[in-house]
Amino acid sequence: MTKKTIIQFDHVAKRFDGEIILKDISFAIERGKFYTLLGPSGCGKTTILRLIAGFLEPSEGTITFDGRMVNKIPPNKRQVNTVFQDYALFPHLNVFENVAFGLRINKLTNKEIEPRVKQALHFVNLDGYQNREIAELSGGQKQRVAIARAIVNQPQVLLLDEPLSALDLKLRTAMQVELRQLQRRLGITFIFVTHDQEEALAMSDEIFVLNQGKIEQSGSPRSIYDEPINRFVADFIGESNIIPGTMLKDRVVSFAGKTFDCVDQGFDEREAVEIVIRPEDLEIKPHGEGLLQVRIESQLFRGVHYEMIGKDEDGNSWMIHSTKSARIGEEIGLFFEPEAIHVMRHGETEEAFDRRLESYEGAGHD
Amino acid sequence: MVKKRIGSTLFLLCVFVVLYLPIFYLMFYSFNKAGNMTHFTGFTFDWYKEVFSDKRLIAIVVDTVIVALLSSLLSTVLGVFGALAIYLTKGRHYKNMLLSLNNILMVSPDVIIGASFLILFTLLGIKLGFISVLLAHIAFSVPIVVLMVLPKLQEMSPTLIDAARDLGAKRLDVLLKVVIPFITPGIFAGFFMALTYSLDDFAVTFFVTGNGFSTLSVEIYSRARQGISMSVNALSTLIFLITLAIVLVYYFSTRGMGKVKQLSGGEDA
Repeated sequence: MTKKTIIQFDHVAKRFDGEIILKDISFAIERGKFYTLLGPSGCGKTTILRLIAGFLEPSEGTITFDGRMVNKIPPNKRQVNTVFQDYALFPHLNVFENVAFGLRINKLTNKEIEPRVKQALHFVNLDGYQNREIAELSGGQKQRVAIARAIVNQPQVLLLDEPLSALDLKLRTAMQVELRQLQRRLGITFIFVTHDQEEALAMSDEIFVLNQGKIEQSGSPRSIYDEPINRFVADFIGESNIIPGTMLKDRVVSFAGKTFDCVDQGFDEREAVEIVIRPEDLEIKPHGEGLLQVRIESQLFRGVHYEMIGKDEDGNSWMIHSTKSARIGEEIGLFFEPEAIHVMRHGETEEAFDRRLESYEGAGHD
Repeated sequence: MVKKRIGSTLFLLCVFVVLYLPIFYLMFYSFNKAGNMTHFTGFTFDWYKEVFSDKRLIAIVVDTVIVALLSSLLSTVLGVFGALAIYLTKGRHYKNMLLSLNNILMVSPDVIIGASFLILFTLLGIKLGFISVLLAHIAFSVPIVVLMVLPKLQEMSPTLIDAARDLGAKRLDVLLKVVIPFITPGIFAGFFMALTYSLDDFAVTFFVTGNGFSTLSVEIYSRARQGISMSVNALSTLIFLITLAIVLVYYFSTRGMGKVKQLSGGEDA
C-alpha cells in the first residue's frame, strides 16, 4: 500500500440473507482523485458506498481507511461524509442549521461554526441562503445544501450516491462541471455512484465498471472507452459494434469475411475473439470504396449526427454515427483506421488484460 | 347539477342538526329559571352558580383534569416509544402482529376493557381510586398515541437517520435531534387525542373507580340518575365548551404544520 492510498478493499464480499451482493472485491482508492462506480442498478455500487460510509459491514474481507482496519467502525466515527440520492435534508431545520448539523454534533462553538457554514455555502454557490427553509428550495438548491452539509465537516472522502439523478438534463450537466471543479478546489477524494455512463466519462479520474457484484474493469475514462475488456463494458459504455472474429496473428484480425490490420497482439494463433468498433469511428465512403460494403437498413436523426444501421454481406449489423446521411436501401462503403479496431479476448481477467496491453503499448499507455 | 348540490347540502345540514340538537337543547335549558326541561320561564345563571359553589364537584373536576393530563402525558411517552419499537421491528409479519395487537385494544369495547381492568386490579390488590383510574386511562391511551405517531415515522425517509449518523450523530442524538423533531406533529396529535379520550371516558372509569374518587362523566351519570337537576345541564355545557376549545387548539396547531408540508409538496411538483 502506498502513501497515496486512502481506502483499500481486500477481498471484500457482502451477502444479504444468503444472496450475494458483492463477491471478492479488491481495489485501492487514492487521495485527491475523482472516482466513479458505474454500473446498472443492482450491480452492488451503492453497497460499496455504504460499506465505505459504515452503514454496512462486509461479510468477508477487510476495508482499510488511512491504513487502519475499519470493518466495524460505525458511520459516526468515520472521516467520510455522504451526499444522499434523496438529499436527506432535515426538514425541521433551515439551511444554516442543516449545514451546521455535523459541527454542532461535534460540539463546536457558534463562533467556529458560523464562518465554516458560510464558507461551505459559498463553495456551493449558495451565499445568502442561510435562513431559507428547506421546503422553499428547488431540487438543485437542495442538492447544493446536501453537498455543503457534507463538505463542511472537512471529510477526507466525499461519497455521492447518484446525487444528480433527480435533476433535469440541463441542471445535471451544469452540476457535473461544478462537482468536478469543487473536487479540484477541495483536493479531497470524491467517490461518485452512477448508472449514467456519460456522467462517469465526463467527471472521473478513474472509473470502476461494476456488474453483478464484480468489478469488470477499472481505469481512466479514456482507456475504458477505447479499450473495453469485454462485451459488457463495451456495451454499457457508449454504443458499440461487437462482431465475432478470429485473430490470425499479431496485428492481423479477420471478421465479416475479410482480413484487416489492427494494433492488438498477444493472442494465440487463430484464436476466436470479439472485435469492437465504435459507431463514430466508421466513415461513410461511396459504394465500392472503403474496407466493407453495407446496405443501409434504417436511419435516425439524432441531432448531432445521423444514426444508421447497415448490414454487411455476412449478415453482421453495423451502427454508424455520421454527420453525412444516406438513403435507406443504399449500398455504401465503410472505412476505419486500424486503431479503431479493438480486439477482446473471451473471459480475460483484468490483470491479464492489463499485462497484455502493457506488453506492446509500453509506458505510454495510461 | 346545482339542484343536486342543494339536496346534498340540505341532507348534511339535517345530519348536523340531528347530531347537535340534543346538545343545544341541553345547553338551552341550563339557563332555564324553572329548573326543568319542559317550560322555559326565564333566563338565569343560577345553575352555573350552583355548579361553582359545589365544592365536591369542583374537586372532581380537578381530579378529572389531573387524571387526564397525567395519563395523556405518560401515555404519550409510552406511545412514542411503542411506535418507535414497531417502526424499528425488522420482520414484516412480526411488525404487523404488533400493530394488530395495538389496534385490537383500540376497537375492543370499553366495557370489556373496564371489566378486565377491574378483575386485574382486584387480583393484584390495587386499591380502586385515583391510581387505578390513572393506570386504566394510560392503558387505553397508549394505543391511540401509537396510532397517531406511527404514520409520521413511516413518512420519514430512512436516509434521514443515515444522514445524521453520517454526520457524526450518536444514537441518542439521532433520536433527539432528527426523529423526535420530525414526528412532533404526531406526538401533539396523540397527546390531544389521549387528553380528550381520558376527559370523556365513562365506561372504563365507571368500572375501576372506587369509593371517594370520581371523574366528571361518572359523577354526571350518577347525578342524572338521581333526578334531573339543571346543574347537570350547566356542567355538561361547560364540558362541551372545554372540549370544543381543545378541538380548536388541536385544529389550529395541526393546520399550521399542514401549511409547511403543503409548501414543500408544491415545491417538489
